[in-house]
Amino acid sequence: MEFTTQLLYPIDQVLLAVMIFSIMFGMGASLTIDDFKTVMRYPRGILIGFLSQFGLMPFFAYSLAIFFDLPPAYAISIILIGCLPGGTTSNMFAYFARGSVALSIAMTTASTVLALLMMPILLEFYTEEFTRQISEEMMVAGTGAEFVIPTGNIIASLVLVLVPVAMGMFLRYKSPSWAKTAEDTAGFMGIIVILYLIGTAFARHSGLMLQTPAAIYLSAISVGLLGFLFGFWMSRLFRLSPIFQRAISLETGIQNGPIAFAIILLSFAEPIQSQMLWLAILYSTFIVITSSFITLYYRRVGKFDFEVYKNTTIHNRLFGDKYITHYPGGYLPKRISKDPSQGSIPVQKRD
Amino acid sequence: MMDNRILAENLAELYREAAVRYESLPAFATRKAELDWHPVSFRDLYEQGLALATGLIRLGVKAREHIGLFGDNRYEWILADYGTQLCGAVDVPRGRDITEDEMIYIINHAQIKVAFVETRVMLRQVEKLKKDLPKLKEVILLDPNAEAPKGVHRLQDIIKKGAELRARGDRRAEERIRNIKADDLFTLIYTSGTTGTPKGVMLSHANMMSQVKVIPISLTCTDRVLSILPIWHIFERVFEVFTISCGVCTYYSNVRNLADDLSNVEPTFMGSAPRLWESLHQRILKRVNEAHPMRRLLFHTAYFLSRQYKNSLFFLFGRELRLKPASVAKRVLLSPLHFLRWLIVTPFYGFFNVAVLEPVRMSAGGSLKATISGGGALPVEIDRFFNYVGIPVLEGYGMTETSPVIAVRLEDHIVIGTVGPALAHTEIRIMNLETGDVIYPNPKELHEGRGQRGEIWIKGPQVMKGYYREPEKTRETIRNGWLNTGDLGMITFNNCLKILGRSKATIVLLSGENLEPSPIEMRLTQSPFIEHCMVAGQDKKHIGALIVPSLEGFRSHGTEAKNLQELVDNPEVKKIIQSEIKKMISVSNGYKRFELLQDFRLVGKDFVVGDELTNLHKMKRHVITDKYAALIEEMYPADNSKAG
Repeated sequence: MEFTTQLLYPIDQVLLAVMIFSIMFGMGASLTIDDFKTVMRYPRGILIGFLSQFGLMPFFAYSLAIFFDLPPAYAISIILIGCLPGGTTSNMFAYFARGSVALSIAMTTASTVLALLMMPILLEFYTEEFTRQISEEMMVAGTGAEFVIPTGNIIASLVLVLVPVAMGMFLRYKSPSWAKTAEDTAGFMGIIVILYLIGTAFARHSGLMLQTPAAIYLSAISVGLLGFLFGFWMSRLFRLSPIFQRAISLETGIQNGPIAFAIILLSFAEPIQSQMLWLAILYSTFIVITSSFITLYYRRVGKFDFEVYKNTTIHNRLFGDKYITHYPGGYLPKRISKDPSQGSIPVQKRD
Repeated sequence: MMDNRILAENLAELYREAAVRYESLPAFATRKAELDWHPVSFRDLYEQGLALATGLIRLGVKAREHIGLFGDNRYEWILADYGTQLCGAVDVPRGRDITEDEMIYIINHAQIKVAFVETRVMLRQVEKLKKDLPKLKEVILLDPNAEAPKGVHRLQDIIKKGAELRARGDRRAEERIRNIKADDLFTLIYTSGTTGTPKGVMLSHANMMSQVKVIPISLTCTDRVLSILPIWHIFERVFEVFTISCGVCTYYSNVRNLADDLSNVEPTFMGSAPRLWESLHQRILKRVNEAHPMRRLLFHTAYFLSRQYKNSLFFLFGRELRLKPASVAKRVLLSPLHFLRWLIVTPFYGFFNVAVLEPVRMSAGGSLKATISGGGALPVEIDRFFNYVGIPVLEGYGMTETSPVIAVRLEDHIVIGTVGPALAHTEIRIMNLETGDVIYPNPKELHEGRGQRGEIWIKGPQVMKGYYREPEKTRETIRNGWLNTGDLGMITFNNCLKILGRSKATIVLLSGENLEPSPIEMRLTQSPFIEHCMVAGQDKKHIGALIVPSLEGFRSHGTEAKNLQELVDNPEVKKIIQSEIKKMISVSNGYKRFELLQDFRLVGKDFVVGDELTNLHKMKRHVITDKYAALIEEMYPADNSKAG
């Protein structure tokens, strides 16, 4: 499928830029220096999260590109999405999925910083054959020189997106109440702009949604789903407690879409820019829907262990760290009673 | 594992079973400091209770004897209750605000020989009245930090003696427990009531256990209940027993620390009187109004969406307030529209619910699954507010005489504006006030009597045995097993009970028109300027009101005053309240002409608990009417020329 015109008009690009700015500003407004310190408190969770975010996700994205035999521009786009750091919305989803919000925030923070290093490496590693394909195509068309992944530009874009984050953090530091306003407003604006972009894309490129091959839809949807699934299994394999499993699962699947938009707009040119952008839009749209359902599901299955965790934690908060909660025999299912921490912090010693 | 509440024949057995099943889990927790609470486990509580019971037996307490229990919320109160139940005795509770007259009346009327007294202050009160209390032999001081004068026992000493006896093999307490019959009393609660002298309500173990069995709320040992109601009030006591049965820990809070405790304890369940919801509602609104305009807009958008979303859901699931029979055609026509609205609103509601309403819920701890409001009518605006915001308020209905729950909304079927369906095994009748005929359930009436108002009568396992030593009053209240609640109500078309006021508070005007004062009073007290308000006008040409202005309300309005009298003397205050009344109670607001307030008088002294108010802040109309008779008469000049 070819884009005969640009996917986004200049006005849309401006809107998109505003959205990226405000979302990243809102992300910053939700962060404090303490969040960086929390990273150190969950070394195991962060490590496993790191493995699933920068190990599993790019690999799945690459596998999907191969499996569905995606055109190179889409392939690069999906790999780019796979390599992104976690998004702020994951914190909100983790909260409602009864996962560990602290871990989710810590993972978002850590991955955003680490992305500066990891993204260029991973992109270089996974996109090699697709860039070659593009170069060949361009050669045939006679439209130019060799195509390479613009690593420098990507790093520059990443740094650029981190500027509003820093500004947001500064606001939070100065005035938490204003920061809270900024955060909610940003979330709301994000939704409006996304809806507008989808709406206009649909209206102007009538039939674009119909023309898009199923393989593109499937890969846009499944990259997130695979992230949820394997993030969950991986943390389960490492015997993390259920609240961490849910947080890591959502954190792995939910990527920072706005960063993808920024990188695509700033680092890639037509003819592949529109195609890449379209996949990023599809991913951002579907991830909201899939993570909503996953969250509802986690909320339901996690109800019991979360209540146990919460109750135990509150006992420690009110009765002192040394207080040990013994639930009656047979009350806790094996899954939780075998977990030495019962998912709680501080760790409770069991006999 | 869901609800596995313990069912037993009597309270003592329940306490024993709970100790066996829940062991070291905390049963009750008391606050030492904001983040320093003291828990007591089910096992320790039971052990201490047994020791206390043995100590009481040693003191000469017989099975089924009445033991006074005077004091307010503290752990030792619970312990005293445990001790009383475990030695097969009956407690007669009353709060710290008991007046001297009441104390003399209750101790003598209930023939109390042994009494627990909470504080030194109360102890002094008892000693002062000694000559009027000839039967009272032993007094036990609850407060562990207070010195006991000669001749007064300290709770910890009695427990210590009991524990020593038990260590030597004393098992008299166990024997007492075995001999408790389901029909024996567990408590004798004297109601200050809104009318007349205190009456001793006799409640049996079977009464209480029937409640534990059918209360339609699911709690487990991972739940936390925050308690702020008076510990001896029946509404709180049913929770005490119910939480013990479910293995839930109760955390004792108080009005002053409530905001902190809500966020530290993060309760999953709470029972409280409407006042708490009113003040929480005002606090939330205040915070919203002081917030940045953008946030205010977000909140109002969220609230609007939630209202659309929930109203459609209520309609689709038949959970709207149905006072008229439902027309099938209307339902068929409207259902697709509601479904469509639901479909459109849902994604937006989803976002706003998460981003805006959740922080609002956090101000109530954020973990509340549901809350019960009882002990008075919850204003419908406040009811709606909390349900739309996502804190399900289950309004319940009951009275001391029914230990106490008669009806309560179901968690998954909340019908706003009602108190839900009757509890299991409870029958409700709506009776015609004039003829005494049964309106509901009556197959001869239209729709079996639904939607028609009348007096509520109930029958069920929770109905008291009677008033202690008052056969006459008992016969007046209970006829053929049916108890007259003295409330007006109707059954809605989705089989919920709607309360419409007190049948006895009904004001009959000279013109013969009947009106309910409480809806008007409730409306007026929502004004920030009005603290209390009582409508009067029995046998008069028109109604009038006594109003206690709100010091705080006028202060935030900019009118400073040292005391109420200063406010009352301020002509500006009178003007403001006059315009508030005009604004709130008018024909265009749906009030009938004879419900309009023609006159009012400001009262320069606050209504206080124990005098004008009952312990649950209900107005004692007869007390207020007597006390301010002159002021009321002022509104009705003898010539009556200005009236009407």
